[in-house]
Amino acid sequence: MASDDIAIIGWAVSPMERRTAKSEQQMLFEVVTDAVDHAGITRADVDFTVAGSCDYVAGQAFSFVQNIDAVGAWPPKRDSHVEMDGAWALYETWVRLLSGDIDIALATGSGRSSTADPALIYPMEMDPFYLAPLGADAMSFSALQARALLDAGKVTERQMAEIALRSRASATSNPHAQVSGAFDVDAALQTDYVRAPLRKHDLPPITDGAACVVIARADKAREICENPVWIKGFAHYSELHNPGMRDLLTSPSTTLAAKAAGIEEAPVDFAEVQAAFSHEEVILREALGLGQDTPVNRSGGPLAANPVMATGLVRIAETARQIREGQGRRGVAHSTSGPCLQQNLVCVLEGDAR
Amino acid sequence: MTAPSAGTVEMTIRFPYKRSLGPVIGAFMTGLAGQQILGIRNGSEVMCPPLEWDPKTGKELDHGALVEVGPAGTVVSWTWVPKPSAQHPLDKPFALALIRLDGADTALTHAVDAGSIDAMSTGMRVAPRWKAERQGHITDIEAFVPGEDPQGLDDSRPEEPVTMMPYNAEIPYTLPIAVNTARNAVALKEKRLIGLRCPVCSRTYAGERGFCPIDTTALTAEHEVQLPQTGTLTNYTIITPVQYPGQTETEPFARCMILVDDSDLVIGYQPVIDLPVEQVRVGVRVKLVWGDGDIEGWQPTGEPDVDDPDLVNRIY
Amino acid sequence: MSHQPCAVVGVGQTHHKTRRWDVSLGGLVREAATRALEDAQMDWSDIDAVVLGKAPDLFEGVMKPELYLTDALGAHGKPMFRVHTAGSVGATTGIVAAHHVETGRHKRVLAVAYQKQSEGNAQFALGSGRGGSLGAGGAFAPYMRSYIARSGSPLDIGPMVAVKDRLNALKNPYAHLKLTDISLEKVKESPMMWEPVRYLESCPSSDGACAVVLTDEEGGKAAAAAGRAPAWILGTAVRSEPSTFPGRDPVTPQGAFDCADDLYRQAGITNPREQLDCAELYVPFSWYEPMWLEAHRIAEKGRGWKMVESGETALDGDFPVNMSGGVLSSNPIGASGLLRLAEAALQVRGMAGEHQVDGAKVALGQAYGAAAQYFSMWVVASSLDPFGR
Repeated sequence: MASDDIAIIGWAVSPMERRTAKSEQQMLFEVVTDAVDHAGITRADVDFTVAGSCDYVAGQAFSFVQNIDAVGAWPPKRDSHVEMDGAWALYETWVRLLSGDIDIALATGSGRSSTADPALIYPMEMDPFYLAPLGADAMSFSALQARALLDAGKVTERQMAEIALRSRASATSNPHAQVSGAFDVDAALQTDYVRAPLRKHDLPPITDGAACVVIARADKAREICENPVWIKGFAHYSELHNPGMRDLLTSPSTTLAAKAAGIEEAPVDFAEVQAAFSHEEVILREALGLGQDTPVNRSGGPLAANPVMATGLVRIAETARQIREGQGRRGVAHSTSGPCLQQNLVCVLEGDAR
Repeated sequence: MTAPSAGTVEMTIRFPYKRSLGPVIGAFMTGLAGQQILGIRNGSEVMCPPLEWDPKTGKELDHGALVEVGPAGTVVSWTWVPKPSAQHPLDKPFALALIRLDGADTALTHAVDAGSIDAMSTGMRVAPRWKAERQGHITDIEAFVPGEDPQGLDDSRPEEPVTMMPYNAEIPYTLPIAVNTARNAVALKEKRLIGLRCPVCSRTYAGERGFCPIDTTALTAEHEVQLPQTGTLTNYTIITPVQYPGQTETEPFARCMILVDDSDLVIGYQPVIDLPVEQVRVGVRVKLVWGDGDIEGWQPTGEPDVDDPDLVNRIY
Repeated sequence: MSHQPCAVVGVGQTHHKTRRWDVSLGGLVREAATRALEDAQMDWSDIDAVVLGKAPDLFEGVMKPELYLTDALGAHGKPMFRVHTAGSVGATTGIVAAHHVETGRHKRVLAVAYQKQSEGNAQFALGSGRGGSLGAGGAFAPYMRSYIARSGSPLDIGPMVAVKDRLNALKNPYAHLKLTDISLEKVKESPMMWEPVRYLESCPSSDGACAVVLTDEEGGKAAAAAGRAPAWILGTAVRSEPSTFPGRDPVTPQGAFDCADDLYRQAGITNPREQLDCAELYVPFSWYEPMWLEAHRIAEKGRGWKMVESGETALDGDFPVNMSGGVLSSNPIGASGLLRLAEAALQVRGMAGEHQVDGAKVALGQAYGAAAQYFSMWVVASSLDPFGR
């Protein structure tokens, strides 16, 4: 590894709960404590912190300010905050470490989705003139995208159910899963639609949770960590906002991000993608160029636990964990934001060659 | 491990926003008020709903190049909303659909009032059902309905161009109460002022504080200390209230910093009682006055003022 | 190390006003961005990535507005990044954008920050919709009382800053407040809003946006060769600290010193008062000018007010501060930090028009946020090596 390379050296994922009694501050305290511990360092060793969270999820303006008590900002620290998923917070720490003058950074993502009805919150992130006043929420837009895929013959409702089944069955072994276990696809296909063509099994659970990832520059990573997980590429791209003006069958910004992250440089052993709705896995698999035999979301993915504002960062932590545990050497993590996969981030991770 | 539950509190974020529309959205909304649906030329295409810019390149479009589209169109995708939310345009089950209006190359998102999910299909034809009372808003179209014929046509046309749009967001939250907040609330109900003393640095924090930010140490019940209910006013401001939705104050009011006796804790921005705003000053000795389960404010004890030039610097 | 030089080659801002009801939200940010692109002689297609900053989403009721504004800012098919670090956010936006260039991630980055306060109500949002909101003035008033007491400053200093900044604003075509008849008497006669802060010692509430185009060394040198002066970034720094703990001194926060020290070290500045030619500081309430002069080591402790009193910080003084008219004259909150950085860049490019400081070569831009606990700063210069290191 060159000295400019950066590696993940530690991470932590909180319990994933339908409704936590903990404050966001408390969730962050625990994941930061666990992640620096996992990395074999202390908070004092961290040169830069970036948090990802959302005021409208928290129900309070400037909600992130009090969280620095728990992350640790004394003596005063280099610190930033993005109103985005923690995956983008990690992106900012990664760019910052590329500067070369500091060695260790951590990113967090946190949110308590249980505190309000997503159907009332998410219209507020849509076009404020044409979409928000219609109460057009993220789930409804996902359903419109699913319908487009069905109409185009790119997926069937059974295949969508099978993706959900596979994810939740696979989540059985994930201690951070909120929803797991096999179910009967035939019976599931007989249930009512929540948002046609989406049924309950196609939807993510409502989850409270947080995650933290610690990264370090190569020399430092090697010094403090026996098996760093290297960030081989990291990129994100966005697309125009209004889904009615996009081709909903593809995710070109995912493909752009994947290429920029060097996904094509070597075969990918597995992926963790932020497919919160079952059909999104089909789009993302194609956009990332993953074959049908490439395992996706062995953790269960967002269909097993969907801590909004941390879901993407959890994908990165999960990818790092699977690499370190020998379930593959090269993995890709994906995060998304906005209606119908508007904005996408890709992080390619690798373990040391064995 | 699940944290002990300390109950929840209900809270609603509600505000009447007022949005300016600018040239293109304004023209579109004015069109709706007059039962006309406008798109904008973007190269060889027509975009509806219209934007001021080409969304693919960011280039400014000719804001005058508006063309009428529809009124009928084709459903290119749809979903069924069996239980509408308070924000949805209809209060009965409906379809939310992407509708490509005749003459447009992009799709407008809107409701389709089809009566039943069985009446919905991709490729179906729909036309607008206009509201009688229109204000230049996306919901001037109450919904689209199956068929080719617009409904609710009238002769009413707007007298003035529409330039603004109201947006009323209302989100109720159910927030869990943190354990320390709950324990502090119990203490306040029992008329006890409690603090939390950091086991590492011995600083004292207010009873609901979660962490000592100096040592990043969790503060819990075992760090609880009983505090005297007297203190000294160290700093203050007199606030002339400005009006905003939700404002409850009408006259100038004081907010004071109180250094609690026998501790290093300053409680910030506290109300004072029996101390007219013109008599609020640094050094006043005060005692806590209890309201209904909470601190109502701090009242002068009548003791002589504390004369310490550094007192005013104790803001925290 | 992969730290490469980065230059500001384009600056744009809106005309800031109480209500910009003539434009849509997208129109507002595009007004600033278009001016920055024109200044840089670039088109939307020349930009590789966009960084967007703004303060709370509750102010306008548009959640994660980077989504809606992606195509308004020409970012379809590009990276779009959103920053929110309270009042300091505009400056952090510029700094995050600079990191993208300095590390070679992108060649040309557009940083945009805005607030359209008229769509909502800041007092409401600051109190999250509850009554008896302190407002920012109420929260900061005790800090200023403490400063006045400890420094022994005459009470006229705050009003003097208020007058000076409004006079500067008269020379800035984009400034919100144009108080042609401003005077010490007028300020002192204005209503006491948050004692000791008077109405005319406080910032307005503005709609506005600011945009900056950043480019790499090659781009900066090309602009210079074409006769368009770049502003070279000599250093950037951010610091955060907890809002409250017993003994915290928010008048001279440790983070303010640490941030300035980090910045000056990068820029090769050992004597800020001498080596900086001017500074654009985040001063939403008049007393913050002397407070930051001290907390950023430009004035010695307790002597910041003397720089004001002697006229040193006036536009024609030895060390001009807030040449643009500052936050006291225009305050689109989310954009206010980037406006500070942008003004510093305009000064060293010699493009500040009537509010140009003659011969300015090195300038400081600064913003702070929340309970005076978030700090974001940069130093820009007319050359990469202004001190002949």
